[in-house]
Amino acid sequence: MLKGAGLVRAVSNSIAKKSYMAKKILIVEDDAVLQKVLTEYLTSEGFEISSALDGETGLQMSKTINPDLILLDIILPKKDGYEVLKEVKSDSKTKDIPIILLTNLDSISDVEKALELGATTYLVKADYKLEEVASKIKEILEK
Amino acid sequence: MLKQRILNEFNFKKQAEELGVSVWQTPSFLFIVMGVVIVAAIFGVYVASKHYNSPEIVIISESSVVALLFTIGNFIISTVESVAKANKMKTEFVSIASHQLKTPISEMRWEMELLKSKYSSGLSEKQLEIINEVAHSGEKMGRLVNDLLDTARIDQGSLALAKDNINLRDMIDELVQSQKALANASNVELVVSFDEGDFNIVADKRRISVVLDNLISNAIKYIGKSGMVEIILERKDDLVQVCIRDNGVGIPRSEQARIGEKFFRSNNPIKNKTDGTGLGLYIAKNIVEQSGGSLWFKSIENVGSEFYFTLPISKKVKKLLHC
Repeated sequence: MLKGAGLVRAVSNSIAKKSYMAKKILIVEDDAVLQKVLTEYLTSEGFEISSALDGETGLQMSKTINPDLILLDIILPKKDGYEVLKEVKSDSKTKDIPIILLTNLDSISDVEKALELGATTYLVKADYKLEEVASKIKEILEK
Repeated sequence: MLKQRILNEFNFKKQAEELGVSVWQTPSFLFIVMGVVIVAAIFGVYVASKHYNSPEIVIISESSVVALLFTIGNFIISTVESVAKANKMKTEFVSIASHQLKTPISEMRWEMELLKSKYSSGLSEKQLEIINEVAHSGEKMGRLVNDLLDTARIDQGSLALAKDNINLRDMIDELVQSQKALANASNVELVVSFDEGDFNIVADKRRISVVLDNLISNAIKYIGKSGMVEIILERKDDLVQVCIRDNGVGIPRSEQARIGEKFFRSNNPIKNKTDGTGLGLYIAKNIVEQSGGSLWFKSIENVGSEFYFTLPISKKVKKLLHC
């Protein structure tokens, strides 16, 4: 029973790996545990992950590695998520990269500000499962 | 009822405990002292004016009475002020603490999900059972923190609601599916009935789902041994009306006025067997009212309860937020 389930999972993972093999995701997150969990989960879903622990590094990496999508926290050292979002969106080289804000700030004013600045969507970490985060990423990349 | 209210007004010790002040600082006590002073003053001025027939004496006694009343009044105001300040600090504390809790809760929930979805092969059934239980506790903790944050926001008057397009019918279908396990475990039959047509509203999706979830799970929890929960969705003019009816333990008449108060949980045989903070209905009522509807209930002890809420039907279907 367990083995069977494992096999199904392995097969579905390999399918996922195939279709998302080329997609690069940049995770800008200062919480080491969340960074690690997201990286492991998304890697196993077939994405290529790069990560930054502060806003400034995240911004630089958005230019150098040219990711297909950025997962961005708001409260970050050196440069906060809003600033990173603003700068990514104002640079003609990076402005088309979809950005998902992934944060625990959940007031409507934060959501509105992020969407106004050009974020593709806004997810509250405590309310979303990893599976839902991954399917949101896939949904955006498939568009 | 009235007798109880009057007794409560005079229960200075209880009031002092509730407000966190000493007995002589409770507003009721100070008001009574003020009343006594006023009566004594009127009598004193009357006696003085009769005996001395001199305006100076009357003016002096009246001035001292005013000064005394002013002092007592000042006491009352400062007490109320300090209580309000403490209340504000408490709300801010809850708000900050809940926010801080969100990160470790996210970490725990995601770690558990990673373990369950990617690294569960080779684990025994017992190990998986424990992992599922820990994951479930994580979910519960997440919901509790959201409830505390919403309560703090309601108290601060800063609960901002999103405006999502919601098909209430679909939402109820989904919630009923997710509550099926709880219903089956409690031998409760869940029955849903709808009026024809769409039930589109514009409201905060996550929070309306919380309202429905709270009402349905309450109905299931308070059924007792076995029974039926009906969810009826109707259209009333410009409103959608949802009724959640159960044939459970009901709410004692004496406690009905307190339903919907913060942290209040009705005394019934099931109270100690179920989880609950007493925040669910308080939050639900505030969310519904802030969304332009109302929430009320009818209940008979040992017969059952009916909880109703209404929400305005959206005329224009417009997506304002997409999160």
